[in-house]
Amino acid sequence: MASIVAYIEVREGIVTAPTRFLLAEARRVGDLAGATVYALLAMGPVEHNRIEQIAEQVSAAGADRVLCSTSEHLAGPPLDATHGALLAQVAEHLRPVLFLFPAGGVGVELGSPLAVRIGAAYVANAGIELRSERSDVAPASLRVILTRWRAAQDGRRKVDVGDLERPVVAILASGTASRPLGEPCADVEMLSCPEPKYPELHVVASEALPDSAIELCSAAVRVPATASASALADLQSALPMGTALVTPTDAQLGAFQVARPREVVWVSPAQDDNDDLWPPRVPGCVATKVDFDPGAMSSDPDHALAALTAALRQARSRAEGPA
Amino acid sequence: MRVAALCVGGGAECESIGQARRCGSVERVFHLDDSSLNKADFFTLGMVLAEAAQHLCAGLVITGESSDEEGQGLVPAALAHHLRAPLVSRVQGIRALESPPNCVEVSLRASGRLCRLQSPLPLIASVPPLGLPAGTAGETELRPIETLTLEQLGIDPSRLVFRPELLGIFVPGKPVPVQGGTFDEAADILLRRNH
Repeated sequence: MASIVAYIEVREGIVTAPTRFLLAEARRVGDLAGATVYALLAMGPVEHNRIEQIAEQVSAAGADRVLCSTSEHLAGPPLDATHGALLAQVAEHLRPVLFLFPAGGVGVELGSPLAVRIGAAYVANAGIELRSERSDVAPASLRVILTRWRAAQDGRRKVDVGDLERPVVAILASGTASRPLGEPCADVEMLSCPEPKYPELHVVASEALPDSAIELCSAAVRVPATASASALADLQSALPMGTALVTPTDAQLGAFQVARPREVVWVSPAQDDNDDLWPPRVPGCVATKVDFDPGAMSSDPDHALAALTAALRQARSRAEGPA
Repeated sequence: MRVAALCVGGGAECESIGQARRCGSVERVFHLDDSSLNKADFFTLGMVLAEAAQHLCAGLVITGESSDEEGQGLVPAALAHHLRAPLVSRVQGIRALESPPNCVEVSLRASGRLCRLQSPLPLIASVPPLGLPAGTAGETELRPIETLTLEQLGIDPSRLVFRPELLGIFVPGKPVPVQGGTFDEAADILLRRNH
C-alpha cells in the first residue's frame, strides 16, 4: 500500500493549526487513493506520556500511524543540518509517494533539501486536487495532482503524482480542519535518530518571536502602519480564530512571508497599490482589497478598522440569529 | 572576509550584476553564462554554482531564498547538496567570529523563534526578501566583470542532464486578481470559511 508522510510541527508543545490541516488533507488523499498516512514527530528528549498526548492529537487529526524520533539533536529548531538525516532515513525506508510539510516556515527549511537529497519532485505552496479519470477501456482511476502558482504569477505548475516514478515533497497552504477525522490513538513507533550530518553546527540561543502566530495563519488582514493600538486590538478581538492582523513592519512582514493564507483582506488607503509584499499566492487564495478614502473617513485609518470590526460583529450576529 | 558576487546566466547587463558592480563591499564580480545552461534545471544550476564556489574558494555562500520566476527555493538546496555544506534559511544576520577561527554566527527565524547558531565554514545561507539590511558600504566605481566558463570549472556541457519533469507541467494563466470589496463583503469572506 502507498504511503504518505506528514511532518508534524509542534510549537510550545502544541501541534500547529497548519499541521492539523495538513493531516486532514493527507487523510483525504489517503482515503481516496488507498494510502497509509504516517505522522512524523521529531522532538528533543521528552516524557513518553507527552509523546502519547501528541500522538492522540495527530491520529485524531487524520494520521493512521505515528512515527516519533527523540534526540538531543532534534531539540532545537527544525534545521536541515539537525533534522535532515532523519527525514531522509524515513523517506528511504517508507518510499512515500508524498512527503508533506505544513505552512509556517518549517517546509522552507526542510522541504527543498529533502527533495534534492532523495531526488524528489518539489511543490512549494501547493494545493491538492483529486481527479477521477474515466476510460472506456480501463476502470476509473484517481489522479492526485499538486498545483502551485509560479512566483512570476504567469502560470501554474502541475505535478501528477502518478506520472512520476519518484516521490513528491510538498509544502501545503494553510487551512482549517475543524472536525476530528480519526480516532485518538496513542500507539507510537519509535525511531532511532541518525547522527546529524553537520554536528558542528549548533544553536547558541533562541527566543520566541512575538509575531510568530502570523506564520501559522489561515487568513490575514493587512492594515496600515498608522493604525492605533486600540483600533488594532478591537479588530483582533472580532476576527475569527486563525486570522492574523498584519501591519507593514519588517518583523511582521518577515513572518508573513512564510504564511500561506487562503484569504487575505487588505484595508488600505485608496491610492495605495503596493502589493509587492504579499506572501506567495496559493491555489484558491481569495484576495480582497477594501479601499477607504482618508478624506471621507477622517485622516486616520482607525475609522476604517472600526468599520471592519463593526461589519464582522454584525455578520456574526446575523449568522447566530436571534437569541 | 573578502566578498565576491557570482551570477550564473542572465546576461552581463542584468540588474543583479549591475548592483553588484556598484556595491562598495563587493571586491570582485564574476559572471558565468553558457547557452547550454539556458534550460538548466535547479539541480544542474546548483551543481554549476557549487563548482564555481569551489573554484573561487568560497567558504560562505549567501543566496536569495528563491527566484522571482519559479519561487521554490530549490537552487540553494541543490548548491548545498553539491558543495556538501549545510544550508540555513530565513537568515536575518551573519557575522564572522574571531574565535573559533573560520566560523560564523548566524541569526535566523525558525519555528516561531529567533535563533542564533554557530557554524564552521563552508556554509550556505539563504536570505528572504526582507532579510539582511542593505549594505552601508556605499557605491563605488563600477567593478569589472570577470568571466567564468564551464571549461574552467571542469564541466562538460554535453554531459549536463536536464530534468524539467521535477518542476511539473507549466499551464499559463493568471491568478484571480485582487478584488475590490466593501467592509461587509470582507467580513463575510473572513467568517465564511469557519462555517
